[in-house]
Amino acid sequence: MMRFVLSMLVALLLGPVAALAQDQEPLHITITDGVIEPLPFAIAGFIPETGDAGELATQISQVISGDLTGTGLFREIPSSAYIQNITSFETPVKYSDWQAINAQALVVGSVAMQGGKVVVKFRLFDVFSGQQMGDGQQLAASPASWRRLAHKVADVIYSRITGEGPYFDSRVVFVSESGPKDARQKRLAVMDYDGANVTYLTDASTIVLAPRFSRDGTKVLYTTFETGFPRIKMLDVATASARLLPEVPGTMTFAPRFSPDGTKIVYSLEQNGNTDLWMMDVASGQTQRLTTSPSIETSPSFSPDGSRIVFESDRSGTQQLYIMPVQGGDATRISFGDGRYSTPVWSPRGDMIAFTKQNQGRFHIGVMRTDGSEERLLTSSFLDEGPTWSPNGRVIMFTRESPGAEGQASLYSVDISGRNLKKVPTPGPASDPAWSPLLP
Amino acid sequence: MNRADKIGYGVSGALHVGAILWIVTGGQWFFPKKSEPVVISQVAVMSEQDFNALMASAPKDAPQPSPEPVAPTAPATPSETPAPEAPAPETQATPEPKPQELPDPAPEPDAQPDVAALQAPPAPTEVTEVPPEMLPPVEQPSETVTPEISAKPKPKPAPRVAPTPAPEPPPEAKISDQAQPQETPDETAPADKVVEQPKDAAAPPEATTEIVTEATETVDKQESSAPMSSPRPSGKPKPPAPKPTETAAASKPEASKPAAPKPDTPAKPVDTASVNDALAAALGGAGTGGTGDAPVGPPITAGEKDALIVDVKRCWNVGALSSDALRTTVTLSVDMQPDGHPIISSIRLVGSSGGSGAAVDQAFEAGKRAIVRCGSDGFPLPPEKYGRWKTIEIDFNPEKMRMK
Repeated sequence: MMRFVLSMLVALLLGPVAALAQDQEPLHITITDGVIEPLPFAIAGFIPETGDAGELATQISQVISGDLTGTGLFREIPSSAYIQNITSFETPVKYSDWQAINAQALVVGSVAMQGGKVVVKFRLFDVFSGQQMGDGQQLAASPASWRRLAHKVADVIYSRITGEGPYFDSRVVFVSESGPKDARQKRLAVMDYDGANVTYLTDASTIVLAPRFSRDGTKVLYTTFETGFPRIKMLDVATASARLLPEVPGTMTFAPRFSPDGTKIVYSLEQNGNTDLWMMDVASGQTQRLTTSPSIETSPSFSPDGSRIVFESDRSGTQQLYIMPVQGGDATRISFGDGRYSTPVWSPRGDMIAFTKQNQGRFHIGVMRTDGSEERLLTSSFLDEGPTWSPNGRVIMFTRESPGAEGQASLYSVDISGRNLKKVPTPGPASDPAWSPLLP
Repeated sequence: MNRADKIGYGVSGALHVGAILWIVTGGQWFFPKKSEPVVISQVAVMSEQDFNALMASAPKDAPQPSPEPVAPTAPATPSETPAPEAPAPETQATPEPKPQELPDPAPEPDAQPDVAALQAPPAPTEVTEVPPEMLPPVEQPSETVTPEISAKPKPKPAPRVAPTPAPEPPPEAKISDQAQPQETPDETAPADKVVEQPKDAAAPPEATTEIVTEATETVDKQESSAPMSSPRPSGKPKPPAPKPTETAAASKPEASKPAAPKPDTPAKPVDTASVNDALAAALGGAGTGGTGDAPVGPPITAGEKDALIVDVKRCWNVGALSSDALRTTVTLSVDMQPDGHPIISSIRLVGSSGGSGAAVDQAFEAGKRAIVRCGSDGFPLPPEKYGRWKTIEIDFNPEKMRMK
């Protein structure tokens, strides 16, 4: 009885305390739905600090704006809506003026010509937080490289806001096509990721296919038919000089790709009607057979750490994707969906694999986890194929060909979310894109 | 076996025997009747060309069938005779039986439109005539409907609007007879004000109080309502109840005399409340000890919580977040001002899960932007429950917003 009375007293005493404690707890809510819309930003002009930098300042500002809006993640607020007129790089920012036009990020910069070089300074502000995002930066380059300067600035802005790695300052090697479909001429070309500064690396005397950048971006592997049969060539981008890789007589080699460290090449070799994967040491030319299946194995791609290789094989009866150790050996099938899978490419992040899928008469570009889970198809058309990853693993570029005798191949890019599908401008028909790593 | 049992057995036996007899013999009378077989008449479908050919050859006989339908007027008299009558015209028009059959099965109007429709020129003219006939009837009903609709809404708004502007004086006079004549009319000398004050005192008139308070509450209630609502949860209910009536009554006479009364009565409570609010705002409300100062009020309802969630999520833009940040859940804490505005400097990260350091930073910035952007207009939170939302913790969970 005594215990009961005591417990009741304790309960009476502690009750209000508990209630008070409950009152003092903060209100807790959970937000699981938001909005997905481009983040509005403003570029308060890149102010020319020297008299000869006026035009360059305008061009740099345009390239930065194009880079950011081209991602589909940003929306530029037109300058006509600006309230504050920033006339100097040191002008203090009136956040309220930029909040009023709903600018969430503000870029303030300047351009000057100093010592024969273009010098660009910029700052990035989080308007609603009322503070600068990161430190201001200053970059310098030759006037001929002003586009790279702009891409670098855009990369910094993009990375600070999104948290993704940069990719604007990169290049794409591709096959430039011309002529009718039955007599198509193909030659290698390289351009900025946005289609600017196209440079041709080969002439149209022979058909070339499937170029692939080395990890440092200085070399390109591709398949050429100059001997009448497919063979692998390695081209130096700086000098545009190329050399054939050693081969075994009576064989055909194709679908090459560099290892992450650039010391090895994995490729397909056809001999006596059977195609298997082989690996070659670039320095010594020594080769190693990786697969011995009677089926066709091709389109190998290294994992970023160089420990595994993903490839396509029809050993199960249809084209499917497999992963095996870099030394060869047992392969694990990772694709099990309907249709045929081909041209797998490992993401630079290492977490996903992009592929081409053919199903029910349609071609798709898709991505999946390295274990084959979470497959998502990003595109669908008459013919989509040959994906390549941007250096940050956020964007995929690929070839899309339109149907019919007049059909042409074009380059397209798409965000891995499936949004922002857009055509990449090229001088003419183009195919087989391969994205370079981020330029130094 | 007693007599009752005998009667029971007798009745039971009789009923059973009757039931058996009914089952054996009665079924004959209740067998379902066989449904009469469906009569199927074969209909020959003829093409339009054939029909035109028949009609082309028929015009000579056309005048003949016209008298025939006159004869079929007889069908009106006997219902059974149409069959015998039908053969008669058929025999008359033996060379072309089909055109004669048309008037027989159907009444005259059916046969006539068919023939007219077959004649190419008149058909389109008829079609064109029809729509203009249809238009006027459409207009007429619309006209009839609109006045009915307009008549109904009119009386509804009338009673709502009427009481506020004009009809107040008469009911006030009646109410003042009951409640006020004791004191207020005597104290207030001016006649106009005396009449108005009783209205306020008797003034549950909801429309006027609501409208007036909407305009003045923000000023008046901040001064007087804070102490009124705070003692309710902790203290006794009755003492505060009379206070609001007194203060409300006092505040309105004060409104007529803006200068003098305000500094007198509400001076102390206004200062304490505002000081406390200012302190809460300045200190970030980090557990401002005296929860008793801030109005706690009843618990936050689910609807109020949902309203806050809706307000925040419309500004939570994850479109520019990295894929890693989209896998990161962050919990932000923010201290609030009594007017519903967040204290931006108080926004802090109190927890995260599922992402790296950079991803957490990005997710935190996105959440912070949502709070700052949508909080700039103030969140829809009940001021009388300020003590319950003085600090808000928000989980930003982008699970549903990840890559599709």
